[in-house]
Amino acid sequence: MPCLVIDCVSKSFGGLKALDDASFSIAAGELVGLIGPNGSGKTTLINVLSGHLACDSGRVFLDDKPISGLRPEALARLGVLRMFQLTRAFPRMSAIDNLMVAGCALGISQHEANKRARKLIEDLGLTRIMNLDAGNLSGGQLKLLEFGSCFMVPPRIALLDEPFAAVHPSLKETMAGFIRRRHAEGQTFLLVSHDMPVIIELCPRTVCMNAGKVIADETTREVLNDPVVIEAYLGEAAA
Amino acid sequence: MVANKSSTSVRQRVEFFVSLGILALIAVLPTMVTNAYWQGVVIVSMYFAMLAAAWNLLAGYTGQFSLAPATFGMIGAYVTGLLSYYYGATAIVGIPAAVIVAGVIGLSLGRIVMRLRGPYLALTTLSFAEIMRLVISNSIDITRGDLGLNVPGIFQGRLAYYYMMLAVLVAIQIGLYFLLRSRGGLYLRAIRDDEIAAASRGVKIVWWKTYAFTLSAAISGLAGALYGHFAQFISPELGLLSQSGIIISMVVIGGLGTLVGPIGGAFLVYVTSEFLRDFGGYQLVVFAFLVIIFGRFFREGLWGLLRAAFGERRSLPPVVQAASE
Repeated sequence: MPCLVIDCVSKSFGGLKALDDASFSIAAGELVGLIGPNGSGKTTLINVLSGHLACDSGRVFLDDKPISGLRPEALARLGVLRMFQLTRAFPRMSAIDNLMVAGCALGISQHEANKRARKLIEDLGLTRIMNLDAGNLSGGQLKLLEFGSCFMVPPRIALLDEPFAAVHPSLKETMAGFIRRRHAEGQTFLLVSHDMPVIIELCPRTVCMNAGKVIADETTREVLNDPVVIEAYLGEAAA
Repeated sequence: MVANKSSTSVRQRVEFFVSLGILALIAVLPTMVTNAYWQGVVIVSMYFAMLAAAWNLLAGYTGQFSLAPATFGMIGAYVTGLLSYYYGATAIVGIPAAVIVAGVIGLSLGRIVMRLRGPYLALTTLSFAEIMRLVISNSIDITRGDLGLNVPGIFQGRLAYYYMMLAVLVAIQIGLYFLLRSRGGLYLRAIRDDEIAAASRGVKIVWWKTYAFTLSAAISGLAGALYGHFAQFISPELGLLSQSGIIISMVVIGGLGTLVGPIGGAFLVYVTSEFLRDFGGYQLVVFAFLVIIFGRFFREGLWGLLRAAFGERRSLPPVVQAASE
């Protein structure tokens, strides 16, 4: 049964069609990669799925229920949790409080949120900075913190937008290991990344977008060998 | 509420106890300052401290810059004043009514303005402040307009007012401290830091902003009502924009977004303004200048400067060390 269905979603900014009848679905427990050249519409799609942008046409379903047009907080409460490409944290709050916001807002008690935040911080190797304000953390630590906030309460689907961008390899491995473990436990993911080795390693299936359209949706190996995908990335001559 | 040793939590606890320390000093002050005039100055400072704490909840902890902090004080004062004037209601009825009416008006306005941000929010609250003041000023048949309204006192002696205001201010501080340590406090600070991130984590942005606006209005209404019964005379001047400016300057100078800032700032600014009284309107210029200086160079106000001088210097090396790892 599909967890998330994206059905002919379109979104324009003025004359630019950022999403053009984009359609695909993600089954429960699947880890799907989303790739495409810059400006292909990946982040716009994540913004639509997480309620930060309203689509012009098309529909989105979560567990067969329409969720288009819902506000971000309502979608988060339904289990659609996202990570931003440009990290968004609460700079004047400690790392542990940053995580507790996500837990408490999704309905767990403050005591339980504190317990889970400590566990997550330990799992992500952030123990030494847990009491520091997020504004004092490095870019990589902030990425890990935002990543962790998606998992305070197991999400129905985690939308991860470029989690590995500008991150030290050791932190990248921490995140990749975490994704691997959660996926093995049945967690559903949509993972946007330009990091092909990680996509190949983590994602059995990959969707490729170009100019707002879905141009390939197959196993990751097939997608990366697809001439249409190669052409989108490297130009006609390479294909 | 959870035992938490995070920087935020420790900071809040220190701020809370320092603010209680300041209030404890205020409590013993009448044993040294027996002059009724100066006791009155401290009582009015406590009125401003309540308004400043209420505005700080909104601007300092929720990031919503309202320009109507004095207006809700004026509304509270007029509710109890008018109830007393027309129906002979005592303070026991008037003060709770002031809190409820100010809170309900805050809730109604909050429902509208809390979907706005930045300059739009500031301009809307500024318009509301001026409309309310002009309505009270021009409704001469009802409010006696600029002639003002006599409000019956509650006590005979000044010291009784002194300790009543102090007790309410302590209660407000305790209430704010527990609010900030609750999940609501987490949400308000998250909204202040990044509304979009807070929404994406499931925080009901508009609901919590409206909650803060309503609570801030109700506290201001309470302060205004208490002030009305103490001063025994109220006028639309309570809602002047310059009054809001003074409240904002108290918070900015004391320390925006801190529990101790509004308390320290209110006493410092109001007592100083008494010393500058001979300079007339120029005292406002001094405070405006200080707001610019603090806004530009010392964002956490005097409390931030004190923290930097005593606390942060000691904690800096481990912070830097941990952050760099």
